[in-house]
Amino acid sequence: MIQTASDMKTYKKKLKESLDDPFLRTTLDNFGSSYKLSRAKAFENLDFDSLRNQIAEGKDASILCLEELFGTFKTNAEKAGAVVHFARDAEEANSVIASIASENRVRNIVKSKSMTAEETFLNTHLEKKGFKVTETDLGEWIIQLRHEGPSHMVMPAIHLSRRDVAALFSKMTGKEQNPDDISGMVEVARKQLRNEFLEADMGISGANFAIAETGTIGICTNEGNARLTTTLPRVHVVLAGIDKLVPDLGSALRILKVLPKNATGQAITSYVTWITGAAECGDSFDSKKILHIVFLDNGRLAMSKDPVFSEALRCIRCGACANVCPIYRLVGGHKYGHVYIGAVGLILTYFYHGRENARAIVRNCLNCQSCKAVCPAGIDLPNLIKKVYRTVLNDEHRRPVKNVLLSTVLKNRKLFHFLLRQAYLVQQPLTRGGPFIRHLPLFFEREHGFRSLPAIVRRPFRDQWEQWRPHVESPKHRVALFGGCVMDFVYPEQGKALLELLARHNVAVDYPLEQTCCGLPALMSVEETAAKEAAIQNMDALNSEKYDYILTLCASCGSHLKENYPKMFGGESDLRFRVRKFAEKVIDFSSFTVNVLKISPDVFGKSGKKIAYHSPCHLCRGLHVTDEPRKLLCFAGLEYIPSKDEDVCCGFGGSYSVEFPEISAEILRRKLDNVEKTDAEVLVTDCPGCVMQLRGGMDKRGSKIQVRHIAEVIAEEIIK
Amino acid sequence: MQKDVLLNTMKENAESVQSVVSHIKNMEEAFCYVSDLTRRQGGSTVTAPGLNIDERIALQEICGKQGIRFLSAPLRNHLREIHTSLTFADWGIAETGTLVLDSTSEDLRIATMLAESHVAILPAIRIQPDAASLESGLTALQKIFPRYMAFITGPSRTADIERILTIGVHGPRELHILIMEENES
Repeated sequence: MIQTASDMKTYKKKLKESLDDPFLRTTLDNFGSSYKLSRAKAFENLDFDSLRNQIAEGKDASILCLEELFGTFKTNAEKAGAVVHFARDAEEANSVIASIASENRVRNIVKSKSMTAEETFLNTHLEKKGFKVTETDLGEWIIQLRHEGPSHMVMPAIHLSRRDVAALFSKMTGKEQNPDDISGMVEVARKQLRNEFLEADMGISGANFAIAETGTIGICTNEGNARLTTTLPRVHVVLAGIDKLVPDLGSALRILKVLPKNATGQAITSYVTWITGAAECGDSFDSKKILHIVFLDNGRLAMSKDPVFSEALRCIRCGACANVCPIYRLVGGHKYGHVYIGAVGLILTYFYHGRENARAIVRNCLNCQSCKAVCPAGIDLPNLIKKVYRTVLNDEHRRPVKNVLLSTVLKNRKLFHFLLRQAYLVQQPLTRGGPFIRHLPLFFEREHGFRSLPAIVRRPFRDQWEQWRPHVESPKHRVALFGGCVMDFVYPEQGKALLELLARHNVAVDYPLEQTCCGLPALMSVEETAAKEAAIQNMDALNSEKYDYILTLCASCGSHLKENYPKMFGGESDLRFRVRKFAEKVIDFSSFTVNVLKISPDVFGKSGKKIAYHSPCHLCRGLHVTDEPRKLLCFAGLEYIPSKDEDVCCGFGGSYSVEFPEISAEILRRKLDNVEKTDAEVLVTDCPGCVMQLRGGMDKRGSKIQVRHIAEVIAEEIIK
Repeated sequence: MQKDVLLNTMKENAESVQSVVSHIKNMEEAFCYVSDLTRRQGGSTVTAPGLNIDERIALQEICGKQGIRFLSAPLRNHLREIHTSLTFADWGIAETGTLVLDSTSEDLRIATMLAESHVAILPAIRIQPDAASLESGLTALQKIFPRYMAFITGPSRTADIERILTIGVHGPRELHILIMEENES
């Protein structure tokens, strides 16, 4: 029985259990790394972006007319001898299926894997009615025997070790099974399940596709169990979400081209089965299969009409959003979803299994964008996760104190900056004048102590601007600097390094003092109004008409300005044009230096310092900048040493690291371990937020490796 | 795509998923292949739905010499007995090394699902570059119902225990593809 925490306290306790499970962590981490390689190989020579666009467009078109597609499917499938049902919710689907079983005097049922049946808890219902139900997908069978739910949409038993399976099979067969003989254990399943197939009177399958034009069902499997399930028993029932409807075979083939590659890195699954109507069946009295197809709504049709959430119905259930999620890689699917797991699971849970089950899990997102980057249907998963959180708060008429404070403060720049200056004074006893807060005051809990926190500086960048401001005669480019709170109030030296570099390259720079927080923290806390107000203040302060570029040292601010601003105001015609103009001018440091300044390697010395690089989420996935920083390091005569998982999040995620400190700490630990395995002297990155997390972690472990912003490192290498 | 490029792509991709690919010139070679394979694996039965009567007699004769029994339709009577099945593939898909079999006949389904080894004859001229090239052909077939089509790519496999690839969980443990160069049908 699946139990998902409905409050944060219980949820955190459950997360702790997973964090303490060494097998789970190793196995999921190995999977995460090998998946990346096999997926890349599967998409070699293919244009993923264009395939993704095709799927997204196709799905969007289908989502608009699901009822119509259902009508066409029903007509065509029934002509071919099937009976097609529509079930409004899980209960109705389960009872329709139980009635079909009763009417046909069924006793034994075999099932091939269906997430939709997991969604409706179909097995539980059928067993209550006295039917014997056997799962035949090996992973599903294993978890059925253990009375668990799947921990992954494609690999349901990935959380179990060979020892777990051997113990289970030993108990079941009454014969000791050798955990290291995996083929032997698979053989046990083959024999046992072959009997079940031969004795079953009814087979239940899911469907990957339901093709309206011909009334055809498409099913992908590797084991071949779906073929046996749909062939041997005299009755076949298909249970599919109504979102599986596509107009024609071409649409299904376009999805099929991507689904297995994105799921497991396979070019195609071993078997793809296309069933049109009631085929020959020797076990049935009229030699024809009794075929029923049940389409489940369960909230999908309402979702299809929602301007925001309909996007989630594009999901083709490949499971990739879990595979790449740094949190899933730590805690596993049972703690990262309800029935549906991974990023899309956090979203679907609210719609299919209710607020109680979604309330806590939906907060567990770093917004690192990995899922979005890998989604074959182009779903903006991190964005929808935040929108679900907003919906939960609205439903419950709740507004956490943190949200009220954050929104009040962020809307008022003077108050916000006043508070930051006060914080400088308050922290004095903790920093003892140094750059770190190493020991947190007692009102913080122990798990927050995994990193040293940086001190807020006495004189922020903005206070020194007039003094530092360079004067450039007849400039080549005019840029406005968007500082971001961390550069301004914590690391002004990063900005100073930038100013020197810009002046040498004949760039006039301005730092409009009316600029405020970019607003990302507000959006992440689902305070959209405050986020919009901050955006408008910034657009007023940095009048894009006056500048060639809006330059920022912060990847998070940069991607928020460039991507989220247009998204937030997309529906507002009076602002849309202005926001687009503004967003077009936003550029990150490395892209500006390499692509605009076209900086020459000749201006640099050849220090050959060994550098490791951390690729910030919002740079590599938010702004899609990957080559420029690495090029820049090489131009500057530094020795760039690649390390493992450079593009995996550092675990900061703004307030995430405060809300889920134990997960943040573990993600950071892995990152720093990977860096320490190289012999780099300096770890370089392009986001002050990442610098804060990485430097705090390095300081805490007493490492000799320095952590620095790329602008500082590059400026230093220029021959003076 | 040129014919030999298509053939090589088909072969390479099929072999990358543990299919065994060979070339044959005529049916007799296929029959000998099936008979030898069955004997080598210690099996004692073959079945071959889809053969015409003359072909069936020829196969029976070759197998008979090696003490291998031919199982006749309906195969529901032999669900636990099938060792090797011989079938014709309707198409090949080079891009993924896939066989396409119109499996509307129940005997064909049983033969390809419950056999320990599945041997499929694929006429070289039936190899298509990708699944998209089959779109209209398949749709036309599906409009004549009922229809049960199968894409088969390599033998049955699972990775459900610690993600370790294991071959032969529910379907055939081996898939052999015999590419027939000349036959036009």
